[in-house]
Amino acid sequence: MTDRRLRLAVGILSAAGAAVAGYLTYARYTDTTLVCATGGCETVQRSDYALLAGIPVAVLGLGAYLILLGTALSASELARVVGAVVAVSGTLFAAYLLYAQIVVIDAVCQWCVASDVLIALLAVACSLRLRSG
Amino acid sequence: MSRRTYAAVGGVALIVAAALIAASVIGTRGGEPAQADQLSPNDAPALLQGIPQTGPALGRRDAPVTLVEFADPQCPYCAQWSGQAFPELVRDYVRPGKVRIIFAGLAFIGPDSDEALRFALAAGRQGKLWQVMDLLYANQGAENSGWVSQDVLREIGDAVPGLDVERALRETQSQEVESQLAAAKDLQARLGVRSTPAFAASRAGGQLAPVQVTSLDAGGITPSLDRLLAR
Repeated sequence: MTDRRLRLAVGILSAAGAAVAGYLTYARYTDTTLVCATGGCETVQRSDYALLAGIPVAVLGLGAYLILLGTALSASELARVVGAVVAVSGTLFAAYLLYAQIVVIDAVCQWCVASDVLIALLAVACSLRLRSG
Repeated sequence: MSRRTYAAVGGVALIVAAALIAASVIGTRGGEPAQADQLSPNDAPALLQGIPQTGPALGRRDAPVTLVEFADPQCPYCAQWSGQAFPELVRDYVRPGKVRIIFAGLAFIGPDSDEALRFALAAGRQGKLWQVMDLLYANQGAENSGWVSQDVLREIGDAVPGLDVERALRETQSQEVESQLAAAKDLQARLGVRSTPAFAASRAGGQLAPVQVTSLDAGGITPSLDRLLAR
């Protein structure tokens, strides 16, 4: 796959991820009840796991997706390396949070799962971008 | 791109992820909990801050010991236990992930117990049962005097941060609330519980057995929990 196509994929996936993280961030700061089919969104969002060093994980996710969106705008080696580091580390952290939802909190947030899927796909796309360079 | 670059990217990603996970683990386990002796019943939001709550369960799902509390919202001894023993149990056993407490609500005393229980269980659908129970205990009125009015429930609900009170009131008659009431009754019958508060405990996944408490402070139950944890 060409770097141009991969950049397009990274752009679309990270924009979708930013929308999900943006919604969670908005809900957190406006105290809005999340639309939730899995029934566990509030439980997850109000647990300790939704905060990292006092910062909402949704905000960190939003930041990560915006960085990834930025890397899609550039064909440089720096953009490809930064994209891969952010997406792969984000995927590993997302896997840990998914484990926490299932094993510790006993509640699953559909928005977190959607974000998990997006960041995993981004890790694949960004890793392929490294190869295409 | 060279192999060296791949290795560097992989290494940095691993370090970043490890740092994020470590920060999360410290944040969820290492926080300084509030001191139990500073807690009035109305400090439940601070006491319970960040502890997973799913329906009637409080604490980590993978906690090695499960403690079931049978309680009636109108029972004064339950209120006493909630004020004296509960904060210490949360601080020393639930927050560190050793014990998961499951609320089994019983309406032994009468109609006001049923109204209050239904509201607490409905709040449990939003992960707020324990905050609501704390406030119900703190506002107990004369038995079956009709003190559990919609106004009182609204007032209590409004005092619980993040609770959608109208939704909780709507869900007091929901199937899930009915099922939880029935499940508590079944368990009560199976274990022969005849008064509240009463307790049963087991290692996770094991057979629940009644636990006799020797007093209504934490010391009345912690030896039993310690024995189970030591197994």
